[in-house]
Amino acid sequence: MTTMRLSDGLVLKRNYDPRSSRQSINGEQYVLHCHHFATLYTQLADDCGMLDGKKLMAEVAEDTFCDILRDYYAEHQVTGIPERVLVAEEYYAAMGLGLMKIRCAGPETGEVELLASHIDQGWVKKWGQREEPVNFVTGGFVAGAFSAIFDRAPRTYEVRETRSIVAGADTSKFEVSAS
Amino acid sequence: MAVNRAVETAPYVSALYTTVDRKKIIDALSKLEVINNDEGLIPAFNVFVNQMPARFWTSFSERLTRKVGPDLVEAAEWLLVNAAQECGYHTGHGIITSDEWNAIVAPMVTRVPEDVLHGAFAVFTAWGWAKSEVVELIPNERMVVHAYDYYEADVVRYGERSRPAAFMVRGVCAAFMDLAYGGPYDPTGQTGLRTFKCVQTKGIECGDEYGEFVVTRA
Repeated sequence: MTTMRLSDGLVLKRNYDPRSSRQSINGEQYVLHCHHFATLYTQLADDCGMLDGKKLMAEVAEDTFCDILRDYYAEHQVTGIPERVLVAEEYYAAMGLGLMKIRCAGPETGEVELLASHIDQGWVKKWGQREEPVNFVTGGFVAGAFSAIFDRAPRTYEVRETRSIVAGADTSKFEVSAS
Repeated sequence: MAVNRAVETAPYVSALYTTVDRKKIIDALSKLEVINNDEGLIPAFNVFVNQMPARFWTSFSERLTRKVGPDLVEAAEWLLVNAAQECGYHTGHGIITSDEWNAIVAPMVTRVPEDVLHGAFAVFTAWGWAKSEVVELIPNERMVVHAYDYYEADVVRYGERSRPAAFMVRGVCAAFMDLAYGGPYDPTGQTGLRTFKCVQTKGIECGDEYGEFVVTRA
């Protein structure tokens, strides 16, 4: 097992289990995938209008990352809001999802900016720009992170992507509000 | 695990013998750390890589395939497999032309593309996608892969699923045959991709001891 500490925030304990051939970080199994995989899953969610695939993908992300961040905060006794925000940002980057800056966060609202984005830049690399947002994963991540940061239940927050790298903007912006 | 478990008299047995040392590859590559750059991105193998919790992918595929209804479940499954096949094709090509591959796997390769296939499944194992190996190979025609552990099986913790659910393994198995026998690599994916297809005939999630994946010409 190797342990890595990124700046003053996130601690990642990586492990490979030779018996099962599984890779884990902090006890959670992780897998490598590429932007083709991520953007094709995103496209599938986008196309699947009959059951609102975009919402489904965002909710899966919200559930997954809320759990993981909540567990991390508890295990490492991360109780301060600034420290929790930093961990969420660094965790997002460690997954290769991009450079996230939570510009402001309160129990009711927040603003989040993406300076780099795996999903948006992967989409542009694969298919080019488009006007509508595609980063449902990050919308869900932000909702889950806010729930974990403020000790609220999942589905507490609604997240709207109001500016998108995939549409040609320099950065993406997400606005958060308690529902 | 041995790669030569096929019946000795089978015509495809020779393609299973390989100079690729699976254990050595797995030992070396399983310790490779994937670390993001200053932009929170992981550019590698000519793609952007992500390292996400496995349950994110399986939760999405499970909820999606359960909710679309019986008329659309096969179409949804095909799209999930297709995502993996494109991923496996492009990232697979990036891997087998990478510095890591050239340093560790390429010196073991004496027969192309069969040894490349064996090496690719060792990498597939080392990086935690599926503990898998080629158990039958008819060059340019058919491949059977067994997976003894894979994260997609985790969707069932009790009982047996009526339909197999290893969409990622299916897609990647087909992609590796695309790379091996589908002609020159095509970055656009218009020619070399989807020359093979894969059917999952057994699954741990269905109560079998291992997953079985049969790849044939599309």
